[in-house]
Amino acid sequence: MRFLLTSTSDKSHDEALFAEMGKFVEELTKTGVLLATGGMELGGSFITSAGGEITVTDGPFTEAKEAVGGYALIEVQSKEEAMELSRRFLKIIGDGETLMRQLF
Amino acid sequence: MRVTAPGAHSAIDAVWKFESARIIAGLTRMVHDVGLAEELAQDALVAALEQWPTQGVPDNPGAWLMTAAKRRAVDHFRRSERMARKHGEFARTLEQQGAEERDFEERVDDDVLRLMFVSCHPVLPADARAALTLRLLGGLTAAEIASAFLVSEQAVAQRIARAKRVLAEERIPFELPPGPELAGRLSSVLEVIYLIFNEGYTATSGDDLMRPSLCLEALRLGRLLAELAPRQAEVHGLVALMEIQASRGAARTGPSGEPVQLHEQNRARWDQLLIRRGFAAMLRAREVGGPPGPYVLQAAIAVSHAQARTADETDWRQIAALYDALIRLVPSPVVQLNRAVALGMAYGPQAGLDVVDTLTADPALKDYHLLSVVRGDLLTRLGRHAEAAPEFERAAALTRNAPERAFLLRRAADAPTRTAGVTLGGAVRDFLAREDLGAATVRSYGQTLHRLCLDLGPRTALADVTAGQVGRVFAVTWGATAAPTWNRHRAAVRSFSSWASVADLAADVERRLEDRTGRPALGAGQLDALWRMPAVPLRERTLWRIVFESGAGAAKVLSVNVEDLDLTARCARVTAEGRTASVPVSWRSGAARLLPALVGGRTRGPLFLADRRPAPARTPAPADLCPDTGRGRLSYERAEYLFKQATKHLDPTGTGYTLSQLATSRRRL
Repeated sequence: MRFLLTSTSDKSHDEALFAEMGKFVEELTKTGVLLATGGMELGGSFITSAGGEITVTDGPFTEAKEAVGGYALIEVQSKEEAMELSRRFLKIIGDGETLMRQLF
Repeated sequence: MRVTAPGAHSAIDAVWKFESARIIAGLTRMVHDVGLAEELAQDALVAALEQWPTQGVPDNPGAWLMTAAKRRAVDHFRRSERMARKHGEFARTLEQQGAEERDFEERVDDDVLRLMFVSCHPVLPADARAALTLRLLGGLTAAEIASAFLVSEQAVAQRIARAKRVLAEERIPFELPPGPELAGRLSSVLEVIYLIFNEGYTATSGDDLMRPSLCLEALRLGRLLAELAPRQAEVHGLVALMEIQASRGAARTGPSGEPVQLHEQNRARWDQLLIRRGFAAMLRAREVGGPPGPYVLQAAIAVSHAQARTADETDWRQIAALYDALIRLVPSPVVQLNRAVALGMAYGPQAGLDVVDTLTADPALKDYHLLSVVRGDLLTRLGRHAEAAPEFERAAALTRNAPERAFLLRRAADAPTRTAGVTLGGAVRDFLAREDLGAATVRSYGQTLHRLCLDLGPRTALADVTAGQVGRVFAVTWGATAAPTWNRHRAAVRSFSSWASVADLAADVERRLEDRTGRPALGAGQLDALWRMPAVPLRERTLWRIVFESGAGAAKVLSVNVEDLDLTARCARVTAEGRTASVPVSWRSGAARLLPALVGGRTRGPLFLADRRPAPARTPAPADLCPDTGRGRLSYERAEYLFKQATKHLDPTGTGYTLSQLATSRRRL
């Protein structure tokens, strides 16, 4: 099973956070579950199609100034394993939210 | 994180899958016994199952489990009085370790690597290595392993228990193999991981063509190993091979589960992410350098396929060249078969068929359905449809995989065939339906004749079957069987020939002389070499002497207790539980000279003892325990293993002799 985790956090990105994150990524790579990971812009573009007409709305969509965004593509055996990894992820980035979606 | 009770259980399961390898590895370094370490870790898991649902999952669940397991290790040694002195040291070590937590983190990677080497150790049978590795490194339960391999949970539990016992008895050290041994031991680890992968990828049996979770488990183990042993090119080669093979997962089965061959796969469904990971692993292998090993070569072949955007763009000449290199390293018939496929694509079907036809006489491939699939493919491309059809039928009968069987039967039906008159299959059916044959005879004849139908094709005209063809089936299928089996199959064919009023189809099959002992007894020269072998421990020498001189089964000799011995009469009356054996084990002067030293001062308990005390958690029944030393009875498996190991260099086949061969040897002299 593959899951895409996208996270945003209110914590400012300081050296300590990067170091801790680096260690976590290294650990996940070692267990063989992490397929890809990286940072993510919080804004982006929102593209909708309505009645054949394409509308593009540019972000940002959140108020937080120093928020961090990131994603992780993981391959695990169960939803519970994905949950456990999300939990550890949030443990590091502090308060914030993670959206976890299974990929087919 | 607060979660509801059933949620907590699955959360614990997830934590366990991530952490168990590190916990078991760390514990093994402390207690020097893999089996015990695993049991202690399991105890910690049970504690988590009791506490976490009510108290919540701790912040660092891995550390919690490790601490709980260490605490149980201390309790365990406190309970074990014999270890009283040792436990003092041990408890101190553990207390120090509290302060050295950081140090532990650094060492645990090495410990996990050691654990992999131990669980894939060549002293273990191949199926036990895979089960133990999934158990110790993958954190799978016996039930999960059982369902992955389609065997009973009990069978898996037994494999694992036996493996742990062998590791303890063999005193396999918890160390990385020294330099010269490393390559050989590493290839054993790679073999186990690839076996797990293939069990998932080719799903040798059952209704699914793939069991993806098993593939993923193997990939995880491979990726882990690549991080722990980054200087080994073959490790990266294996990872590259598995990543790229896994990338084709979605494309290799059709809508109803039937297999889709590589050149027909929809390449848009190949997983580009896994392909890129495979390429990256291949680059790491190249960076390490050195001459390419078997996994790097196989990965290079996979890379070559992955680089072709369409099947027509495949560089078959490059692939054939890679197979040429591979066959030099791994001269196996299966590799040769794949080489034939590549040759057939690069240089035309006849080039492939020429190689395939050298393989049909190889007994190792007699039940390998892909040989028939490949031969059928090549024959079809040559327009020889009538010969192709029986190959697909044969392959369908041999595969244990249901969707594949249906697919092959369709290919057989598609191939235009010509049959005039009575077919082999029809004649066999009528022959076995005769009313004057007893059920046992029908069963016995049926085994022989169904194999003939399988190999020669049931739709072949009976008149076209030749004694030469039958002779080849015999050589490939039953060439290695004992004389009585060979002669039974021969008699069945003769009986069938005379009933069908055709020339004797067994004319090319020679009757064999029957010898009732199975593997041959040892000759005088071999025995002489055995007795002269230097540095054989007293226990082994005595056991071998008694087995030889008494002619009794080794199991019976091993069941002898010291109190059963009558040294003057040179015999022992074995008293098994609840019954008294009527025939005593009796020996001659050779064993008589050795026995007093082996008995020493002992007065009771098993005569032949294992090398060391059993781990406290695996204490055998009191009857199998020496009351003086606390050691258990030497097991039959272990005794047989030691005998085989010791006699490997004497045995021309290189496998070593068996104790039952030794037991029949005196009668022959």
